Amino acid sequence: MTHHPHGSKEPQPYWNPYVAGIGLGLVLLAAFVIMGRGLGASGAFSSLVSGAVNTVAPQHAQGNAFYSDYLGDGTQSPLNDWLVFEVLGVFVGGFISGILAHRVNKTVERGPRISVTGRMAYAFVGGAILGVGAKMAKGCMSGQALTGGALLNLGSWATMLSIFAGAYALAYFMRRQWI
Amino acid sequence: MSAPFFKFGMFSEEVGLIFAFAIGIGFGFFLERAGFNSAKKLTAQFYFTDLTVFKVMFTAIVTAMIGLYYLSVIGLVDLSLVYLTSTNLIPQVVGGLLLGFGFVIGGYCPGTSCVAAATGRLDAVVYLAGIIAGIFFYGEIYPLIESFTQLTPMGTLTIPEYIGLPYGLVVFLVVLMALGGFAGAEWVEKYMAARKEE
Amino acid sequence: MKDFMRTLTLNKKLALVAFVLGFIALFAGNPYGSATVKMDTSELATIVQNELDHVDVGELAGWIILGKADYRLLDLRTGKEYEEYHIPGAENVPLTEFGNAGLMKNEKIVLYSEGGIHSAQAWMLLRAQGYKGVYMLRGGLEEWKDNILFPSLASNATPQEKAEFEKAVHVSRFFGGTPRTGDAAIAEGPKMDMPKLQMPAPAGKTPTAATGKKKKEGC
Repeated sequence: MTHHPHGSKEPQPYWNPYVAGIGLGLVLLAAFVIMGRGLGASGAFSSLVSGAVNTVAPQHAQGNAFYSDYLGDGTQSPLNDWLVFEVLGVFVGGFISGILAHRVNKTVERGPRISVTGRMAYAFVGGAILGVGAKMAKGCMSGQALTGGALLNLGSWATMLSIFAGAYALAYFMRRQWI
Repeated sequence: MSAPFFKFGMFSEEVGLIFAFAIGIGFGFFLERAGFNSAKKLTAQFYFTDLTVFKVMFTAIVTAMIGLYYLSVIGLVDLSLVYLTSTNLIPQVVGGLLLGFGFVIGGYCPGTSCVAAATGRLDAVVYLAGIIAGIFFYGEIYPLIESFTQLTPMGTLTIPEYIGLPYGLVVFLVVLMALGGFAGAEWVEKYMAARKEE
Repeated sequence: MKDFMRTLTLNKKLALVAFVLGFIALFAGNPYGSATVKMDTSELATIVQNELDHVDVGELAGWIILGKADYRLLDLRTGKEYEEYHIPGAENVPLTEFGNAGLMKNEKIVLYSEGGIHSAQAWMLLRAQGYKGVYMLRGGLEEWKDNILFPSLASNATPQEKAEFEKAVHVSRFFGGTPRTGDAAIAEGPKMDMPKLQMPAPAGKTPTAATGKKKKEGC
C-alpha cells in the first residue's frame, strides 16, 4: 500500500474475503440471537411497493393477497417494519465503509465492451427479473442463501443452488456486459 | 436459556426496529468491506476470475451456522424460536433461477445494490428501480400465479431432518464442503490469473 | 506446535479453526435440546395454590366485549370441535402444534379446553418451558356455556340475583346465547343448541392483530 503524503483519496484494497465473511456471519448471528430472525433485503421493497399501491389504490391493494400480506391490519404503516429499518441501515453501513476506504465515487459499473445506456437497460431488466424471482422464492440472497443457509433450511439451500445455476447458465450470454 | 432476546420479551418491537437499523449498518458495512459495491467484482464470480462472492457467502454461512449451533447446544439460545421460512420446493427453485438470471444480468442482488447505490454507483440506483418494478409486476400477476407459488409445500424443514442425519454431522459436512470449496476457489483464481498473463 | 502455527497463513489458521469446530459438532449433540425443561416446583406450586394461574369466564367475556387485543386465546380441542363452536377470537392450537404457533414467552396467553384438565396440563407444560404469561380459563368451555352463553335464573332468586341476571342476559345476547329462566329451563341443561358462529365480532381488533402483520419475519 503506497503512502500518499497529501492525503489523496486512493481507494483502499478490499478486505480478505474470509475475514469479511466472518464479519458478515457474526452480524447474521447477532440477528439470530437478538431477534430470533435472520437478515433480508427484498422484503423491505415489498413493503415499499405494497404501501405505495395502498396509497394510490387502497381497495386494490387490500384485495390482493400479495400486497395485503405486507399491509397488516391497517393500524401501522407498512414501512414500520423490521426489514425496512434494516435496509436503511445497509445503505448507511455501506456508505460508512465506502467513505473510510475512499471508495465512494459517482460511477457506472460496466465491462469494457458495453455503453452506459446499454448497462442501464440491463440493470433495470435484471433488477425486475430479480424482483420477481425474490418474491417467488420467498427471499433473495440475504434472506434465503445467507440466512437460510446458516439455518440449514432445505428450501433455502435449494434456492441457493438454483441462484448459482441460473447465474452461471446465463453468464455466457451476458459476457459482453462484464468482460 | 434466554435468547433470542426478543422472543423472550426482553424489549419491545420499537426497540427491535433500532436493532434492525444497527444490524443493517453492520450488514452493509461488511458487504462493502468485501467489495460488493462493485457489479464488476460481483459478476466476476460467474466468469471464474474472482470468486469472492462464493468465499464471503460461505464463510458467513459457516460462521453463523457454527455460532448458532454451539449457542443452542449449550442452551443459551432456543433454536426452536428462530424463524425458519417454510419450503415450497418448485417455486423456490424457479424463483432461485430467476434470482440467478437477475444477478448476472443486473449485476447485483438487493442487499449489494443498496451498498453500491450508497457508494455512488448509478447503475445500482437503476437496478433498485428495476427491483421495485419487478415486485410491482409480481404483485399484479399474483392472483394468476398464486397456486403455483404454493406448490410442493414441505413446511419448515431443515436438511438434517430431511435426510435423517444428526444436526452436528450435517454441520461438519457443510464445513468440509466449504473448506473444499475455498481450496478449489483459490486454485481456480490462480489458474485464471495465470491464463490471463499468457 | 507453536512453530507449526506460525508457518500457517491467516487463511489456513481460520480454516483450521473451522475444521476443529466442525469436527467437535459431530459429538456435541442436538441443538434442539429444549425438549427437556427444568421446573421450579415450589414456584409453580405457589402459583397454583394462590390461584394466580387462571382467568374467570366473566373476565374473559369482558375482555372480548371491550375488544381488548393484548392476549391470545387458545382452544386446545380438536379441529372438529373448534369448527362447531369456539369462543370468539380463539385460535385452534392442539398441544402438539405449540411450537408452530409463534407464542412469545411474555405475552398473555389464555388456554381453554372442554373442562379444565387439558388446559391445566397445557398450562403446566408451558409454564415449565418459561412462558410466564399463560393462564387457564377456569372451568373451560363448560363454565363458559353455563355462565356466559346460557346463564340461568332460578324462580326463587333474590332481587340481587335478579339484578345480576339482567347483566348476564346482555352478555349472553352479545355472544348469541340464550338465557334461561325458570327451573324447568335450567333442568334442560346441556341440550341447548350452541350459538352459530356468526356472533358479533369483538368491538376492536381481532387477536391476530396482536401479532401484527403476517409477513413479520419473512425476508
